[in-house]
Amino acid sequence: MLKRLIRAETRRFIAVAVLFSSLLFVSCSSRDRVEGFIHYRLNYNPSTLDPAHIVDVTGGIIAAKLFNGLVRLDEHLAVVSDIAESWEISPDGTTYTFRIRSNVRFTNNRKVIASDFKYSFERILDPKGKSPNTWVFEKVAGARAYTRGDAAEVSGIVVRDHHTLQIRLEKPFSPFLNLLTMTAAYVVPKEEVERWGVDFSTHPVGSGPFILRDWRHNDRLLLGRNDDYFSGKARVKGICYRVIPEDLTAIAEFELGNLDVISIPASEFRRFKSSNTWTGLIASREGINSYYLGFNCSRPPFNDHLARMAIAHAIDRKKIFETYYEKRGVLSHGPIPEALRSWPPPEPLAYAPETANELIGRSGLKGTTIRFFIPADQEVADIAEIIQSYLKLAGLSVAIKQLEWSSYKAALNKGEADMFWISWWADYPDPENFLFPLFHSSNRGPSGNRTWYTNKTVDALIEKGQRLMISSARSSYYGDAEKVIVKDVPSVFFWHKADITLRQPTVRNYEIYPIYSVDKGLEVSF
Amino acid sequence: MKRLLLVIPLLFGITAITFSLTKALPGDPVYSIVGERSSPEIIEKIRKEIGADKSVVRQYAGYIALLVQGELGRSYFTGRKVADDISVKFPNTMRLAFASMIIAAPLGIFFGFLSAKRRGKLTDRVITLLSVSGISFPVFWSGLLLMLFFSLKLRFLPPSGTGGMQYLLLPAITLSLPALATLVRITRVTVIDIMDMPCIRTARAKGIPETGVSMIHILKNALIPLITVIGLELGSYLNGAVLTETIFGWDGIGRYAMEGIIKRDYPVIMGCLLVGTLVFVFINLVVDVIYHYADPRVRVHGTDR
Repeated sequence: MLKRLIRAETRRFIAVAVLFSSLLFVSCSSRDRVEGFIHYRLNYNPSTLDPAHIVDVTGGIIAAKLFNGLVRLDEHLAVVSDIAESWEISPDGTTYTFRIRSNVRFTNNRKVIASDFKYSFERILDPKGKSPNTWVFEKVAGARAYTRGDAAEVSGIVVRDHHTLQIRLEKPFSPFLNLLTMTAAYVVPKEEVERWGVDFSTHPVGSGPFILRDWRHNDRLLLGRNDDYFSGKARVKGICYRVIPEDLTAIAEFELGNLDVISIPASEFRRFKSSNTWTGLIASREGINSYYLGFNCSRPPFNDHLARMAIAHAIDRKKIFETYYEKRGVLSHGPIPEALRSWPPPEPLAYAPETANELIGRSGLKGTTIRFFIPADQEVADIAEIIQSYLKLAGLSVAIKQLEWSSYKAALNKGEADMFWISWWADYPDPENFLFPLFHSSNRGPSGNRTWYTNKTVDALIEKGQRLMISSARSSYYGDAEKVIVKDVPSVFFWHKADITLRQPTVRNYEIYPIYSVDKGLEVSF
Repeated sequence: MKRLLLVIPLLFGITAITFSLTKALPGDPVYSIVGERSSPEIIEKIRKEIGADKSVVRQYAGYIALLVQGELGRSYFTGRKVADDISVKFPNTMRLAFASMIIAAPLGIFFGFLSAKRRGKLTDRVITLLSVSGISFPVFWSGLLLMLFFSLKLRFLPPSGTGGMQYLLLPAITLSLPALATLVRITRVTVIDIMDMPCIRTARAKGIPETGVSMIHILKNALIPLITVIGLELGSYLNGAVLTETIFGWDGIGRYAMEGIIKRDYPVIMGCLLVGTLVFVFINLVVDVIYHYADPRVRVHGTDR
């Protein structure tokens, strides 16, 4: 009886299942695209699209499509005109006068005028505001007084007329135009900011080539083309960003044609590289970044120069780069990426185990356990273990402490680590961006100098470079600073990671840009 | 009613414990908010802004005051209201949880029953093997396999995204597997126990046909443990399934909570925990009510609830 029942049940179940799945077959497919849109992947949902609050690359990538600044970077990393059609810099290097285009409109159809920039920049510096990006404008005259609440406006930002904006700096600061290409310097319309309040972060309105159409948080973000964009409209109808946290899922979406371009995860690099179908569609470009092993120079054991040199001599960077890292980038000579260096590269300490042993003997490093902090990331964990084994060969004991990102950063900012693995990515393409935040003594701790490195000579060289407007003279100061830093070994500089992407054969005119803000999404097409 | 009123002190207890636990975690949200390059003044300003400069007790009092107003606060990072986010993500989680339970419960009970009925035979062995595998295989493995097969090979379902039926199916099946396997095991054991009970022998002796015995007498007796397991599994699914949601890019409460935890976004963590607590309380209540109808013995003790 039961047998018959079960058989009947099974039959019925199979019938229903077949019916159900055939229905699904009819209605479903793995295709998942918006017609005419280019599809990209985001690893995570951007926190905010309000330029005043964006601190992450993901937010920056999207903001570049929605907003404009006075100036922007072109693909060769030169500062070119954006909303400002021209500008003049006074001979003493402190006053910048921008001529604003008259044909630029916000996507709410209002014209962009000079006072919009004053509003947007003061919004960053607002004493009641919460923008973490005040440092972008701190060199402007009157900025500090305004942020402290001692002034009603920033005296250094002056609106001459609707189309003329003047910015005065406290003292000459050569990378200033570069700073103006950053996310925080984008112009926003006052009426929209006031209308949305805090929620401007999810209802951004700018003047860019794209408009935010729909944002399903943690799932997908749709940007539609702005047909009235002042410098020609984009070739694609729009951009669809899919939020896909898992690498393997992103690969699956790509192989199904649901994503047009992806960066290749390290684990899949070899497979795509050796596949005939894909190998011609891989593009790579040296990133403007620096990956390094930092030392805490403020206390023992690594306040001792010999100890830091010993570690540098004990690790075979080149071997790690060529084997484990599969040459996905270029080996570092110093902190500054090759693309930004216009002087002969310094020579870092080479792998020399005997020298390392001798230095370890002289430095009193023996017997201490080095606390090596790393963030929770498989690749970093692998590299940390390789470093650990090199140091073990040199007779040193290393305790790896892996922390998730927020605890990791807190620990570094408090100087708890002896040694740590970290990377630095350019905010703007100037060697200064790899020197001042990372090595100037005024930035020790959370401002970027997490090695707590202090060297008066380096401080002075960086400051001199910042003040000079002629780039060749600047380079000589920066070059000297880099040389001193490499000699002092506050960090062992490993490599500059390359961006490696894979695209569909249908995608045309795709280019990897060295900095996210360069990509306005105008060129790419099908 | 008394049960419902008890929820209020329970929530206070839960918030007090979780609040102090999250504050005791190492890490600081401020550093993530300000990015890589920030001055101590900004850090101080933001710390003040989110109230992190006050004592934990004052912060807790502030949070309770917010709760009393029916607010869950805003995320430190996105500035969005936690309540709004949850009201988007929780229904997604609910869909996923119920969908996987709709797959797991009937199939689990059916195969468990079959396994018990055919105890020791090949069918039983195969089902046992499969269900033990179902419990042991982690979802990130089974999920990727399903994706490989249904999305990449058959080109039949999209690998990820949040949306309608075609997006729901893969994560729901993935998530249902461990529950299905657990249910098979529980059903099998329970049914085997019941089959040896005198009442079943009596039923058979009364001449009730075998189908009737299986369907009415055995199943009815097996209901209590099954409801308990289903309730517990459902409760945990309703609190989000981080791995499944991450693999399939499903915008549920699990991923939301996880992101909050990683960034130390306290309002988000607290909001998710509160909702989670309420869900468990509610599920337990429902399960109790079902017990009340399913088992006459329960009814005797608690008539007036």
